Amino acid sequence: MDNCREYLENLCSYVDGEVDDSVCREIEKHLAGCPDCRIMVDTLRKTVRLCREGKEEPLPEGLKARMEAILEKKWKEKFGKDEG
Amino acid sequence: MNEKELVLAARGGDRDAFNELISNYTDRIYRLAWKLSGNQEDAEDIFQETFLKAVDNIDSFRLESSFGTWLYSIAMNVMRTCFAKRKRMQLGPIEDYMPDHANGANSKLLDWGDPHDLFENEQLREMIDSFLSKMSPENSTPFVLRYMEDMPVKDIAEVMDLSVPAVKSRILRARLALRENLTEKFREKKDG
Ligand SMILES: [Zn+2]
Repeated sequence: MDNCREYLENLCSYVDGEVDDSVCREIEKHLAGCPDCRIMVDTLRKTVRLCREGKEEPLPEGLKARMEAILEKKWKEKFGKDEG
Repeated sequence: MNEKELVLAARGGDRDAFNELISNYTDRIYRLAWKLSGNQEDAEDIFQETFLKAVDNIDSFRLESSFGTWLYSIAMNVMRTCFAKRKRMQLGPIEDYMPDHANGANSKLLDWGDPHDLFENEQLREMIDSFLSKMSPENSTPFVLRYMEDMPVKDIAEVMDLSVPAVKSRILRARLALRENLTEKFREKKDG
């Protein structure tokens, strides 16, 4: 294939399993003969995999309590003192 | 109570109903704000502002979308205002991210291998977070929602008020840019 750039948009959809069978076959045919596009597919896949792994950022100390206090105040402003 | 009943109760002043509605989203919205802003202070401001606006506007929520979609839309608006002042890296068109290469045997792209052989998990996470927080939010936001929050593309389109193709194109550019950035880091490490 002369122009791999044309494949680029489809490569991402291909990695996410979102292309039609016919496009899929076309891409696989191209991949078989193009090491660079194979690396592109592999690294695009790993990019998302790396984003998904690792532990989540913990919530800061006291954030929920601060939030609760602010919401409580707001709620009273809006609905009056009577709750429930 | 189902979601609709909870919303109606909250509109009538039932604080517990409101708490139940937001309970699934507090952690997620904080983490989203943290990833997109890159710092705790902005993340906390965004977090609080989002829920305060939700209280303010609960009467105007017409149940046309899910509560979550509505809440994320509010968060999007809060973030847009917060990020408007900051200069961020704009991403180029998709074509810019495919390096020229000869067809056939002479591969010029870096084969990553296993990135964990090059960097600790913590360092990888730090690189990704740092790059995403520098990226223009129009690209980083849909990317983070899609791949870190697992939100379907059509929901992202709704909360960002964009078309599905526009969302897809922004996600793609973010992904390509991040791939390229990581490739540079891995190359430096391999060469050095
Ligand atoms: Zn190719």
